[in-house]
Parts: sequence; C-alpha cells; structure tokens
Amino acid sequence: MVSKTEETQLSNLETQVDNGGGGAWEYLSLVRKLKVRRSDRVLKHGLSILNDPKKRSSLGPDEWTLYEQVAVAAMDCQSLDVAKDCIKVLQKKFPESKRVGRLEGMLLEAKGAWTEAEKAYSSLLEDNPLDQVIHKRRVAMAKAQGNVSVAIEWLNKYLEIFMADHDSWRELAEIYVSLQMYKQAAFCYEELILSQPMVPLYHLAYADVLYTLGGLENLQNAKKYYASTIDLTGGKNTRALFGICLCSSAIGQIAKGRNKDDKESPELQSLAATALEREYKQKASDKLSLLTAALKGLKVSS
Amino acid sequence: MALGFAVGVFGVLILFHAAYSTIQYRGLLKITEEEFSGPPMNVVAELLLGLVFCIWAALTVPGKFLSIQPYSEENRIVSLPANSDFMIFNHRGKVFPLEMDVKLKH
Repeated sequence: MVSKTEETQLSNLETQVDNGGGGAWEYLSLVRKLKVRRSDRVLKHGLSILNDPKKRSSLGPDEWTLYEQVAVAAMDCQSLDVAKDCIKVLQKKFPESKRVGRLEGMLLEAKGAWTEAEKAYSSLLEDNPLDQVIHKRRVAMAKAQGNVSVAIEWLNKYLEIFMADHDSWRELAEIYVSLQMYKQAAFCYEELILSQPMVPLYHLAYADVLYTLGGLENLQNAKKYYASTIDLTGGKNTRALFGICLCSSAIGQIAKGRNKDDKESPELQSLAATALEREYKQKASDKLSLLTAALKGLKVSS
Repeated sequence: MALGFAVGVFGVLILFHAAYSTIQYRGLLKITEEEFSGPPMNVVAELLLGLVFCIWAALTVPGKFLSIQPYSEENRIVSLPANSDFMIFNHRGKVFPLEMDVKLKH
C-alpha cells in the first residue's frame, strides 16, 4: 500500500535520481518496499550500481536482492541479455535455489517460450507443490497467452487453497472487470473489503462495479461505498466525490418514474458537489466552468 | 531526546526522594507517638512534580506519535502496489524496447 507521504517521498527521490543527484540505492529500496513498477528506472540505476564494483560491494548481502530486482526489471523492459547475465550471476552464487529457478522460468516467459516455461514451473512445483509465487506465475502465463478463461480457472483453484491472499483476489477481480463479468468482480471486491476494510481503494472499486451493474439497489449500495471511501480518505478522493454525484443523479432518475418520496439525504450530493467545486477552484480553476456545467447536467448542484 | 531523558531521570529521583521523606516522617511520628494521617504538604508537592516530570518524559522519549486517522497524510492510501507476482511481459515494452546499450559487466 502506498500512502500519500510515501508517494511524495518516491516522486522526490525519483526526480533526484533522474537528475543525477545520487540516492540510487535508496530509490531502488523504496521501489522494492512499495512494490511499484518502475522497470526502466530500476534497470538504469540498478545497472549503474551493479557495474560499479565499489558501490556493489558496499551493499553487502543486499547485492543479491538488487541482482534479482534488476533481472525482473530487465525482463520487463525486454533487455533479455541483461536479465540473463543477472540470473547467471545469481545462479553461480545460489545453485539449486528455487528463487533463481523461478527467475529462469520468468526469463523463458519473457522470451515467449511458453511450453518450456511451463515445464520449468511444473518441475519446480513438483519439489514444492505449495509454492504460491509459482502458482501465480502460471496464472500470469495463461493471461499473457490470452487464455483468460484458463487463468480464471487456475486462479479460482489457487484461491480455494490460499484464501487469504488478497493480491490474488484483486487480480481475479481485475480480470473479471476486464471481461465485464461484474457480478463475479463484485464478489471478489467484497472479499477484499472483508480482509482489508481500511483500504479506501477497494471500497471505491467495489462502488464502481456496483454502479456499473446498475439497478436501484446496486446504485444505493454504490453510493454508500462511495461515501465510505470519502470517509476513509477525508474527502480527498475526487473519483468518489464524482461517484456520489453520478449515483444520486441515477437514483433520482429511477425514483422519478416511481414517484416515491423517500428522497434520501439530499445534503450528501450537494455536499459532494460543493467539495468538488472547491477542489477544482483550488487546483484547476480554468476547468471550473466545465465542472459546474456537468454538475448542472446531473442536477446535483444547488 | 536527551533533555527528555534527563527530565525523566530527575522525575524518578524526585519520586524516590518523596518516598524517602515519607519514611523519615513516619519514623519521626513514631518517636513523637502521633497518628499518621497523611504525608506532609511538601512531600505531596514533590510527588506531583515528579509525576508531571515522569509523564512528560514518558511521552517524549520513546518517539514521535503516529497518526491513527485513516485520512491523515501518512495513512491515506493513494495507490495500490503493482501486482508484481502477476506481472506479464508481453506489453508495449516488447515492441518498443528500451534504447540501452549498457551491459552487465563481470
């Protein structure tokens, strides 16, 4: 999870490193800690450390972590030679290691040699059938080949064993959303909210899915989850504010035909609209007129 | 930090001194054969002072307070980590390989 302070710290370090201000190792450590995908920068700065014997030896045992990080980044950038060299170094240091075996499998994947990669992974799974990362790699491989249904099947099987793995639940949810299977995606997001109730982004994603599903009940629930996102972020999430406005407008349209007068909390939408207007005024005052027009179209602003 | 620690030590010393004074006072009362109804005023003042110092030291020495509010800058989650276990490599990086001629030297 990347919090606001960590994000600022990361972007500061990024500009510092990009402009040659040093701190490459701190940057790489932060990237590893926050698990963000900055493969091009990791490759560039990681290689500059690895090619400098003095800097490299000053890392101590962290040197090998860096080799692994750079290898994965190199695969992501399709610099397969660099990845191969890194893996070779690691293999020399740790022969028979499962972790290096996994990297080799990933290298095969990056090359596009699917059958060989599959073979490598299944031989690794024979030694340790409960290796979570390798199961995940197989799912990713199916996805990379375009067999999304196979990926879903494997991911479901995997989740039956490792139910507490929220990263996998998230992956499954994202796959379902990409296939427009919103009911299933909603189930996955429910699981995620249950396991990590304090993460506003899951509430937000769940609300998005519910809003997309449509229907009065779903819209009302979506509105509640947008509201909980606002609660958890202190109103600093623009998407949730927009979500409140859209939900209110959609609920209003549905309820108009049924002339029910149980209009719930008209303050909420006007408050959201005011908060949006304030935020736009602060950060992008030239787009304020667009916003007011849009809100007027939704009939939420007072 | 160092100041807080010094104040804490001072506070504990004051508390010990208050205890010592109370014992001495009781010894005195035993000699004069009076009832012990409560410690004298200056000991009570000493106790309160020691308490304040100790509390202050206990609050400052261990470190800064962290926010527990979910929407504070330290806790507000703005993005989820990249799901790097499910990372796949056939993206646009394959078509536009990075222009890099750096190699790993041994």
